[in-house]
Amino acid sequence: MESEAAGAPASGEVVNSIRERTISENSLVVLLQGLQGRVTTVDLRDESTAQGRVLSVDAFMNVRLKDVLYQDRRGRRRQLQDLFITGRNVRYVHIPDDVDMMKTIQNQLDKIHRVRSFGSEGRKEFSKKSN
Amino acid sequence: MVVLKSLHPPTEGVRHQQADTTAELDGLKLGCGTLCVAETRLLWFDDSRKGFSLEYPSIGLHAISRDVCSYPQEHLYVMVNGKVGDENETEMGAADDDDDSSKEDDDEDGAITEIRFVPSDKTALESMFSAMCECQALHPDPEDDESDNDFEGEEYDVEEAGGEHGHADIPTFYTCDEGLSALTQEGQATLERLEGMLAQSVAQQYHMAGVRTEETKAEFDDGMEVDAAAMEAGQFEDADVDH
Repeated sequence: MESEAAGAPASGEVVNSIRERTISENSLVVLLQGLQGRVTTVDLRDESTAQGRVLSVDAFMNVRLKDVLYQDRRGRRRQLQDLFITGRNVRYVHIPDDVDMMKTIQNQLDKIHRVRSFGSEGRKEFSKKSN
Repeated sequence: MVVLKSLHPPTEGVRHQQADTTAELDGLKLGCGTLCVAETRLLWFDDSRKGFSLEYPSIGLHAISRDVCSYPQEHLYVMVNGKVGDENETEMGAADDDDDSSKEDDDEDGAITEIRFVPSDKTALESMFSAMCECQALHPDPEDDESDNDFEGEEYDVEEAGGEHGHADIPTFYTCDEGLSALTQEGQATLERLEGMLAQSVAQQYHMAGVRTEETKAEFDDGMEVDAAAMEAGQFEDADVDH
């Protein structure tokens, strides 16, 4: 899964859970979290595949996709409106070619750090949350 | 052949319950019953309380299918690792260990069970799906070594928050959400006490400055008192505030 040198960073929302943020920032799952909104293919352990738009990926690599074309391990295809794949069952997640992986990772880490330092920037907590 | 067990549905932690739902296991229709999405397990049982239950770690995926070309009814599709309702599965009690190992074997084999839950009320599919997502997230994979290593209690240790870079970037202050979820019972009690003290001292401040108006009060009373309290307490530590 290689990407071109120049590319757009993808972006995803940061979850409101300390534990999940910590797990995410210490693993490559941040890259997957940055794919939110993108259409991609997930290969499952049982050799089935799911192609759809990434709604979210959590720290445990549970993936939510929507408008999915699912092909089971026998090759039968069907459409699924919403799909939740348990992290343990994910074998590969395809990264779209135009995604700049380093930027995506950096963006996600920045988001995590911003959320984390929110409370330390003086009286900023009294202003409207913009995250 | 599918063996159904007598079930005792949980009374607590039920995120969603859907009556009038037929279940189909690997193509075998089990009739009409109730789907119960509980935080501990997923259950389906018919009128005589016979059915099957699923452990979330064994669920590979679940989805909403509205593709009537592949299956004539809109339904909740669930793929389970291993065989459900296997006649070789023994009953509960001492057999739990056996169940676990047999499930693991099934998992290694790559055997799966395809289950379809067809509610008579198709508009309920979204809620059924969401409830399952929530419950699934409550059961992260325990075999995942990485997540255990990365999350340690010490992350909240202010002493370790030396620099701003890399893995030393540990939160020294909490946002409203974070702070509340990280509190123990003791912490909760302390927080309440501090909030009370703060409310008093803030009131005094404004009185002394003589500028407290109703608007000012509203601005600062937007439910962020918790943060203020945490900030006050936090500033006693030698935390690095200047960035």
